[in-house]
Amino acid sequence: MNDLTAKRASLWDLANPTRFLAIANPVIPWLAAITIVALLVALWMCFSAPEDYQQGATVLIMFIHVPAAWLAMMCYSIMSASALGTLVWRHPLADVSLRAAAPIGAAFTFLALVTGSLWGKPMWGTWWVWDARLTSVLVLFIIYMGLIALSKAIEEPAIAARSLAIVTLVGFVNIPIIKFSVDWWNTLHQPASVSRLGRPAMDTAFLYPLLMMALAYTLLFVTLHLMNMRNEILRRRVRSMRMMAARENEAA
Amino acid sequence: MFGQYSAFIIPSYLVSAAVIAGLVIWTLLDHRARLREIRELEQRGIRRRAAAREKTDV
Repeated sequence: MNDLTAKRASLWDLANPTRFLAIANPVIPWLAAITIVALLVALWMCFSAPEDYQQGATVLIMFIHVPAAWLAMMCYSIMSASALGTLVWRHPLADVSLRAAAPIGAAFTFLALVTGSLWGKPMWGTWWVWDARLTSVLVLFIIYMGLIALSKAIEEPAIAARSLAIVTLVGFVNIPIIKFSVDWWNTLHQPASVSRLGRPAMDTAFLYPLLMMALAYTLLFVTLHLMNMRNEILRRRVRSMRMMAARENEAA
Repeated sequence: MFGQYSAFIIPSYLVSAAVIAGLVIWTLLDHRARLREIRELEQRGIRRRAAAREKTDV
């Protein structure tokens, strides 16, 4: 075995479910504690920020709406990378990661839609418009729900993993549509003001609380993802133990 | 507290807190339920083959 093969083998071992649990179990409580501190600091920064000259106090909604929308897209991108892991490398943890991320992504997308609507009513004068950005995020939410339903509909694990991976990758086409919808079409939703070429079009008084909340939401996602992955591995262990018990009963 | 926008700001934070708390509680309950299932199966003498191997490796 040459060096490269040995290195690959050790990386592969590192990512097996048992090794994953050995690493995740002690890390999760620390991550949870850091997430709580980050959320508290972010909330303090948000409520200390001045009112916006146009939006007034509704800028407070932006501090939780924008990170939720970012996380909704980031979560789907991670699921798509996991789908590639399932289809190309058949990695055992890739399907675990995809399934574990889906409910978290659905929750963040739901929050982006609800908080966006609660901001839209006082600022735009309407709860909802069928513009490209809002509609494509609603489609993302429907895709998440569809993936969760599909993951529960197929019993056979290998077929379920492949089906989920294929549908996830097909759905990924929606992510660039969401991102660039405000540039490609004439939308009521404003264009990007933070992640754009050049300086963000936002004063630091609002930018820093927003970035802090985005960091807190990202930490929350990582913590919940690890916890859900751990649950999914345990679910598979229960399934294999039940199958062993059934086989032993049949043999007896 | 937030003037004319209270009716929009407060529900935004309440819904976010409720959804995040729900997600955390659901995850913790799921973990507890899976551990309980594994414990019950082990008490019935059922062990995964991989677990047995891991034990002999150590």
